[in-house]
Amino acid sequence: MRHVIIGNGVAGVHAAETIRHLDPQASITIIAGEIFPPYCRPMISLVLEGSVQPKQLPIRAPDFYSRLDIEPMTGTRVSEIDVDNREVRTSRNDRVAYDRLLIASGAEPRPLNVPGTELRNIFFMRSEGHVNGMIEALENARHVLILGGGLVGFKAAYGFLHRGVEVTMLIKSAYPLSMQVDPEAGGMVLDELVRHGLHVRVGVEVTAFEGIASVERALLSDGSTLPCDIAVIGKGVFPATSFIPTDRIHKDLGLLVNEHLETDVPDVFAAGDVAEYFDVARDRRWVNAIWPVAVEQGRIAGFNMAGRPVTYLGSLGRNVIRVFDLDVLSAGVVEPPEEDGCEVMVHRDLNRRFYRKLVFRQDRLVGMVLVNRIEQGGVLVSLIQQQRPILKDKERLLNPRFNVAQLTL
Amino acid sequence: MKEVIVHPERCVGCMQCMAACATAHSRSGNLLSAICEIPIPKSRVHVAPGLYDEGFPNRCRHCDPAPCELACLPGAISRDRRTATVLIDPDRCINCASCAMACPFGVIRYHETCAAPAGKTVAVKCDNCVQRQAQGKIPACVEICKTGALTFEEKSEALRRRTKEMAMRVSIGADQREIPGAEGFVLLNALKRSRKEVGASEL
Repeated sequence: MRHVIIGNGVAGVHAAETIRHLDPQASITIIAGEIFPPYCRPMISLVLEGSVQPKQLPIRAPDFYSRLDIEPMTGTRVSEIDVDNREVRTSRNDRVAYDRLLIASGAEPRPLNVPGTELRNIFFMRSEGHVNGMIEALENARHVLILGGGLVGFKAAYGFLHRGVEVTMLIKSAYPLSMQVDPEAGGMVLDELVRHGLHVRVGVEVTAFEGIASVERALLSDGSTLPCDIAVIGKGVFPATSFIPTDRIHKDLGLLVNEHLETDVPDVFAAGDVAEYFDVARDRRWVNAIWPVAVEQGRIAGFNMAGRPVTYLGSLGRNVIRVFDLDVLSAGVVEPPEEDGCEVMVHRDLNRRFYRKLVFRQDRLVGMVLVNRIEQGGVLVSLIQQQRPILKDKERLLNPRFNVAQLTL
Repeated sequence: MKEVIVHPERCVGCMQCMAACATAHSRSGNLLSAICEIPIPKSRVHVAPGLYDEGFPNRCRHCDPAPCELACLPGAISRDRRTATVLIDPDRCINCASCAMACPFGVIRYHETCAAPAGKTVAVKCDNCVQRQAQGKIPACVEICKTGALTFEEKSEALRRRTKEMAMRVSIGADQREIPGAEGFVLLNALKRSRKEVGASEL
């Protein structure tokens, strides 16, 4: 059986390991655009912050490919998939035949369409190379401009603040992390960042970058100008599907997969940031482009590719971040629209900077935000994932003393 | 292979396992000196109140596959096959709390320990006292437990004993042996439960 995996991110790595575990004889090829060995993408922001060294990034030993008898084709991009002839064509004009194919090509940063983005020191924050570039540019930098208050923009801002430079963040909504947390928790995060020196401009956008060779200033939509030596574009990501024959392998935002993570084309699977499957909290199709979902999906795709049918119950958006003295953990639906008819419970103790919000749809927990005292967060996350009914006393889940022993009913 | 088995119905919530655990993971290994140590040693077993305030020693289940191990970003969590123990390497841990989001039992805490580099906050949880086991001792929480809520034995043996206890209670005239003395725990837990249900503050 010839398995071909596109992408050496965490989904591809887990799929390869799972296939090898179940089938010692199978041939496994990994085609990857990056030349770095598999590394931990969420940790690149910690390299920027300075708390992690680049040498800590790899998630597997240097002999990963040879030990598992995997043929690596790194620095190679896939240009085309021929599903009729079961063949992948690469940027180097190689043809790689497969019996089962996994598309784990991940996601790409959403570009910004304004004049001047070709200037030096304007970065995305998606790969180890981007962060290395930022650190290099830091030497002569005094002002950093962050575009976007999402997770990436926020992590970049946090990293640069630690480096002691002036950081200005431009955000569309009234508070950062609006995809992850509700306004109240978002406000707490914002206050914490501002307390540590972050400048925030709400509701303004960049209309152009200017400079000689490197970026020197940004022109804003309100007519003002902002000096900057580094700019980071954090406008989100979209699934990397440019090489996919979407007339055959159907996609919505991501590639549509079934409960075995198989696409509309038999023996072609998708996992990780590029795949779109059911979200257990939202109760609809969704792309959750996060690390733990990529791990789950990589493993499950691997099982199915190796011939062991395993069903995926669905993904769940979740995140945990530490912002100076605040810990924030969130999952699922945090700000349900009115018409959803969800029940929302809140417990706050602002003196202790403790905030807990739970969202129930009928008797199921579907979302939560925790600020500080996050140790029991995993218990709540697993309640959402299991879609386990909470038949009485939902309030007990709000109590800071809530623990797993209180679930045995 | 022997492992720690929790019998929640026998827990009276005395928290002696917590003191023993903290001591076992201190620098000195002695309770009196341990309370003066910096960082202060903390327990890795957490006696938590259940729905009716009954005790429950919540400790790491050493799941296989372990959700925390799969969630760990820097690869600091691994499995020691010999003792079936999930271990966290404090040198590799980056205190990102990804494991807090993954653990369905809520047993991981974040603080300094004498086993981690000085001043570094790390993820901490039960290690099955692997160091004590290497010295031929049993885990500290089991050693101190007075009620049999924590035992160190083969899982099959624990199940067999449990089945036998149940059978002895209902088998008429099977033997003239005394009824195993678990009734006190049942009474205590029933009392706690009724107190909670009627809303009384005192027993």
